[in-house]
Amino acid sequence: MKTIFKIALGIIAAIGGFLDIGDLVFNTQAGALFRYDLLWAVVLGTIGIAVYAEMSGRVAAVSGRPVFDVIRMRLGFGFGLLALIASTLVNLLTVAAELGGIAIVLELLFDAPYSMFVITGAIALVLIVALLPFGGIERLFGYGGLVLFVVVATVFHQNPDWGAVAHGFVPSLDSSTLYLYFVVGVFAAALMPYEVHFYSSGAIEEGWTEENLKENRLNALLGYGIGGVLSVALVIISGYLFHPLGVEPSDLGTVALPMQGAFGETGLLLALGGILFCVGGAAIDSSFAASYNLAQFLGWEWGRYQGPRKAPRFTASWLVFLLLGIAIAQSGINPVEITEYSVVFSVVALPLTYLPVLLIAGDRSFMSEHANGRIASALGWIYFAVIVVLSLAAIPLLLATNGGGG
Amino acid sequence: MRREGEIYVVHRLLDEQICDSEGRRVGRVDDIELRGNPPRITALLVGEGLYPRRLPGWAARLARRISGPETWGSNALRIPWEDVDDLSSTVKLRKKAEDLGLGEGDDPQRWIVRRLPWN
Repeated sequence: MKTIFKIALGIIAAIGGFLDIGDLVFNTQAGALFRYDLLWAVVLGTIGIAVYAEMSGRVAAVSGRPVFDVIRMRLGFGFGLLALIASTLVNLLTVAAELGGIAIVLELLFDAPYSMFVITGAIALVLIVALLPFGGIERLFGYGGLVLFVVVATVFHQNPDWGAVAHGFVPSLDSSTLYLYFVVGVFAAALMPYEVHFYSSGAIEEGWTEENLKENRLNALLGYGIGGVLSVALVIISGYLFHPLGVEPSDLGTVALPMQGAFGETGLLLALGGILFCVGGAAIDSSFAASYNLAQFLGWEWGRYQGPRKAPRFTASWLVFLLLGIAIAQSGINPVEITEYSVVFSVVALPLTYLPVLLIAGDRSFMSEHANGRIASALGWIYFAVIVVLSLAAIPLLLATNGGGG
Repeated sequence: MRREGEIYVVHRLLDEQICDSEGRRVGRVDDIELRGNPPRITALLVGEGLYPRRLPGWAARLARRISGPETWGSNALRIPWEDVDDLSSTVKLRKKAEDLGLGEGDDPQRWIVRRLPWN
């Protein structure tokens, strides 16, 4: 009974931690531009992250190997280094985007300048990481993020044309490059690589073994699956409200407006609070991911569970990544723009981190009876093919659409 | 005990995580020393000085120019094969990291005390 309760809490935290600034921005814009037409791409991305997270969590629990451990072993030093550099750049952009997101929300809530809140937000994150144990950090942001279910409530409150919504779940390919760009964006926002870097290292932080495999499967399928409902709700509400008006949301505050329309001041506060927890949690996840990757690639001691005394290089690198993130967020570039670049470049870097996990998860010499079965293997390779296609298309589409500007 | 069965050296040993006898992560197998005929593994090589030789030709030359040559004992270490205990998951050593000169980068003494300018 106690374990069921514990597993349920983990799933709930995964649901609340699902969204980050990339999902908020891309899903809202996708709804505003194409109404419900991109819902299928959200579902495709959500299943993708569930498949990839389940695999990497299983590898971590069974063999004790997080993602970058596996990457160096399967790709060797040269390609592994390439994967490390690419992932680190993408993760840094993500850290900056999430820090920017925190600052925007605080700016809206407390009416003081953005730049002050980038630093305030980062200091708050350092304090939270210093004071709370690993599980506590995850739960704080996971439960806080659940407030964003106000988006789902708003969808039901507004009661859109459900037939049209259902139609959006059927894949359709519009020939416009902007539409294709948003297919890549929505998919990539769901499948940000830092989520998996963090998830698999987190499994080791929490001491997972083969006994946690059920928990892993439920976390990945239910946690990320229900988390995907939030993404779907964002697209629907934006498609319902912004699409007919021709509004193109270019800042994070716009994401919260539909909730104000439905539930007044309370709705707005809940939405902003939920966004704050989501981007705050993602700032921690992505900055941790950057230092996990570096430490694992170089063979350093790592982990929040080790503390700064046993893992000084890991701790120092985390602070450096956070500082670099602050520097990028303070550079004056619009955080929404940083978000778009971090999401689109992430899909370019994705095949390099996805392939080694897929190879190890299917390797019986590591995984024995827990190696990929027929279904996991088929899904894994299908998604690999999808990822390769999208990663090849991402940069041309980014250039052709002038960064989604049309 | 060293395992006597066959292993695929590049598949399972090269680039593997190394842990000392206390279970601390102390580096990765950056290269492997082979000697004799037929060749036998005589040592594992660890350290950032070895990174350039793991890169493809042009990048290796560039990396050497930047980082300088490998210096045995400081940026490149030799772990004799006799000190390897077990290969079943990570590479487990028989000795503590300090005794082999490994893991200095994660030594808290070095971080907190020796790095301060007045020491």
